[in-house]
Amino acid sequence: MDHLLPAEILEADRAFPEALAACGDLDALLRLKGAYVGREGSHAARLMDLLKAAPKEQKRDLGAAINGLKQQWEEGLKARQADLEVAKKHLNALASNWDPSLPPPVPAHGALHPLNRLMDRLVEVFRPLGFHVEEGPEVETEAHNFDGLNIPEDHPAKASSDTFYLAAHPKLLLRTHTSPVQVRTLLRVAPDLARLGGIRFLAPGRVYRKDEIDPTHSPMFHQVEGMLVGHGIGMQHLKGTLEYALRALFGPHTEIRLRPSYFPFVEPGCEVDVSCPLCDAKGCRVCKGSGWVEILGAGLLHPNVLRYAGIDPEEWSGWAFGMGVERMAMMLSQTPDLRLFFENDQRFLKVMGGLD
Amino acid sequence: MWIERKALVAEIPAAAALDTRQLCELLAALGFPVDGVASREGTDVLDVDITANRGDAMSHRGMAREVAAKLQQPLAPLDPSPLAEGEAKVPVRLESPGCPLYATALLSLGKGTTPPEAQAFLRALESTPKCLPAVDASNELLHRYGHPTHAFDADRIRGAVSVRWAKAGETLVTLDGMTRTLTAQDLVIADEAGPIALAGVMGGDGTKVTEATRRVLLESAWFDPKTVRATARRHSLHTDASHRFGRGADPAMAAVARDLLVERLQAWAGATLEGAWTAGSLPAPVAPVLLPEGLLLRVAGEPLTLAEAAKVLGRLGCGVDVRPEALAVQPPTWRYDLAIPDDLAEEVLRLRGYEHIPSVLPALEGPPRPLAAGYLQRQALARRLAHLGFLQTVTYGFISPEADAAFAVPGNRPEGRTLANPLGQEYSVMRGTLLSSLRAIAEQNLRQGVREIRLFEVAPTYASGPQGPSERFTLGLVWGGTLGGEDYLSPARPVREADLSGIARDLGLASPPEVRSLGEGLFGLELPVSDLPLAGARIIPAFRPFSRFPAVERDLSLLVDLGQSYEALASAMRAVLPVEALQDLRCVDVFRHKSLPEGCQAWLMRLRFQADRTLVGTEVDAWMAAALTAAEGLGARLRA
Repeated sequence: MDHLLPAEILEADRAFPEALAACGDLDALLRLKGAYVGREGSHAARLMDLLKAAPKEQKRDLGAAINGLKQQWEEGLKARQADLEVAKKHLNALASNWDPSLPPPVPAHGALHPLNRLMDRLVEVFRPLGFHVEEGPEVETEAHNFDGLNIPEDHPAKASSDTFYLAAHPKLLLRTHTSPVQVRTLLRVAPDLARLGGIRFLAPGRVYRKDEIDPTHSPMFHQVEGMLVGHGIGMQHLKGTLEYALRALFGPHTEIRLRPSYFPFVEPGCEVDVSCPLCDAKGCRVCKGSGWVEILGAGLLHPNVLRYAGIDPEEWSGWAFGMGVERMAMMLSQTPDLRLFFENDQRFLKVMGGLD
Repeated sequence: MWIERKALVAEIPAAAALDTRQLCELLAALGFPVDGVASREGTDVLDVDITANRGDAMSHRGMAREVAAKLQQPLAPLDPSPLAEGEAKVPVRLESPGCPLYATALLSLGKGTTPPEAQAFLRALESTPKCLPAVDASNELLHRYGHPTHAFDADRIRGAVSVRWAKAGETLVTLDGMTRTLTAQDLVIADEAGPIALAGVMGGDGTKVTEATRRVLLESAWFDPKTVRATARRHSLHTDASHRFGRGADPAMAAVARDLLVERLQAWAGATLEGAWTAGSLPAPVAPVLLPEGLLLRVAGEPLTLAEAAKVLGRLGCGVDVRPEALAVQPPTWRYDLAIPDDLAEEVLRLRGYEHIPSVLPALEGPPRPLAAGYLQRQALARRLAHLGFLQTVTYGFISPEADAAFAVPGNRPEGRTLANPLGQEYSVMRGTLLSSLRAIAEQNLRQGVREIRLFEVAPTYASGPQGPSERFTLGLVWGGTLGGEDYLSPARPVREADLSGIARDLGLASPPEVRSLGEGLFGLELPVSDLPLAGARIIPAFRPFSRFPAVERDLSLLVDLGQSYEALASAMRAVLPVEALQDLRCVDVFRHKSLPEGCQAWLMRLRFQADRTLVGTEVDAWMAAALTAAEGLGARLRA
């Protein structure tokens, strides 16, 4: 019956499957539909015109041929439409899907300075033992910084090569340790000491010594001082407290070791070592293979320190310790250069600081 | 101080059984940590750290005494045959209490030089042998026995020798070739022509022993520690001798050291003794120190008997008299540091070993005290800012005068905050501001290519005053660069002044702070921490009722003049609105564009009403109309 159909229709019919497959979306399919089975100007419309004009005896056969073609095209279009609709639905679903692996908005990431963080931690560790925090000024008197601490008048630390003095106030200096807070606090509480039942506190803060800036020296650094005054206080109490605190800080298996040493404001005096927290005392670079790291200096209060504050050393006794915060921070973090703590590079602060 | 193992063992033979590591541990347990071990001249040499109170330990003999006491083993005998003293060949006059004892001898030198083993000993201690026996022997004795001695060229000394205070302005060329101008507080050894040595510190160049020296006059004296320290400091001349005399030498060693020096010169240089004599006498021994049993038990924290303590102190060379409930202890002549009962208690514990100290938590005798409000406020402030994305900095308290002047308050004179001896000009003024330090840190970070700067510091700033600088804790903040744009949802925008104002408001600051421009797109803010509110005393604030009826929100878009104050407009609008119903009124958008009439901007005002009843549309309409009228009173118009 093909002889009844014009050649271009036959050509269009031959091209139909390929055209159908080429429709990538519903819009393209709609255009194809218009071209083949649309109401006007389509191949189907032309065939209807042909049928109308055809001689009567041919109408039956031609009609059947035309219907066959139209039906074939419509089925093809319908099937393709269904496929495209499924594909579109799938894309829509994908588009509305959230990919959790895309970087999400993250709240800005701030941090405490590592040195402050460490000092805060030390305060936390001593709080359960009843220690509070005392503070004092950084610009101090010679009396508080040296005299009240049994430091002899001609001690080399008093020299202007070691200690910063103020030009307009020759008796004022930048405190060289947090120990003047001891002197201030003892002077303040002395009249009330019996009622208070002694005193125990930490004094964290910044101190100054005239050292040139290099990888292990800084003219400003931080110390945490600890002090306890009570009745019948001996070395066993110093050891007991430090053992508790250093275990709270470094872990329950931590051991401590006291070694005799000397500071003018304590008697007996000692250095305190802690079993190396980095290698569990197995021996590493930080503890130089010994399994121990020096962590602080301490001792029982020299009777002259109590006397200076007007406290009777026959009745009261106590202990004190002082630790270098930078030294501990460098040890724990293995930061190779002290200057990094004062350079305040944001990359350093973000990584080393943080929040507890 | 360097301690040569072989020489130490010569003094305490029992130490030979310890290997070097054990020896180091033993010394550390006695309070002499070893900083390092070197191998020199075929033996181990220990770098021993000796605390300032232990001048007596600054020699091989001194260290050996400690080891002997700990090991409970005898020291090698130290018994040079005492020289028969005769009359003074050169008169010695002691004219100052700074030198109560002066042993001396005159010798003619023969042939010979420093023996190789003595040279090796000196080299092992990083000391260079001079191959002048008088010099090397004195040096060797110092390291071995701790007593400094000196040899003068006897033929260059004129007349009698005296130990006296220098006359102010007198000069002396010391062995190091420096001309020293002396003060009346300097103790000198002098001949009749003038000073020939700074006593206990350094000899003079004019009388030094050289290869040409034929006769030597020895000096082995005892000098007052304080005087020697002061002179050493005054002349910045810290020598082996000044360290030992400055920390207290053993007066009983003066004659012994002289005798040992004579022995060596006879053996090494074929010297002939022409005479030995001593001026002055041993200083009186210090009074015995009483160690009460109660104090010993308190310090030790465990039952220790006085008899045990007496034994330990006896091993250290103390004379001990056991009395009821106390020990009377006469410290040996070399132990200046044993002055109070606590010193003796320490010695007992030290020799027993600190490892025996028990571990006890001290009981609370009174209630624990709370943390101070100011301290807690700073802790909370730092934590809040860290949560808000700020990084805490720590910068030096001193800055340059220029950096200080850039932000410090004009009345705060830097002269009152300036250091007399700063590390340098850039670290010379105790800062009146944190902003200079923060700006410097910000700029340094920006140079590193940081997108956003967000820093804070809480530290004291200083204000000059008649009694000296006062200090108060200050908060400094800097914020700059680009905000956002780091993820697919947050648009990027530059940081603005208002961002810092918002932080100040978040921290509870009531009035808008002064935000300073610190450079291109970088803003700073500084305020005393005391300006921020303290945490309330109540754990939870008092309850304030709130409405459960629906709220109504209305926007009003206003055209206002560019110079219009927002606060004035908002106040005018608030004034005409019912206090009980107005929940909030704020500008939520500022629009400036050329499409608006010239000189105008558009503010989108958002008003929120809520009351203890359901609000009716008409009453809200009336409030909105009143608010508009109030705005119009200030020249605003409804934006079409």
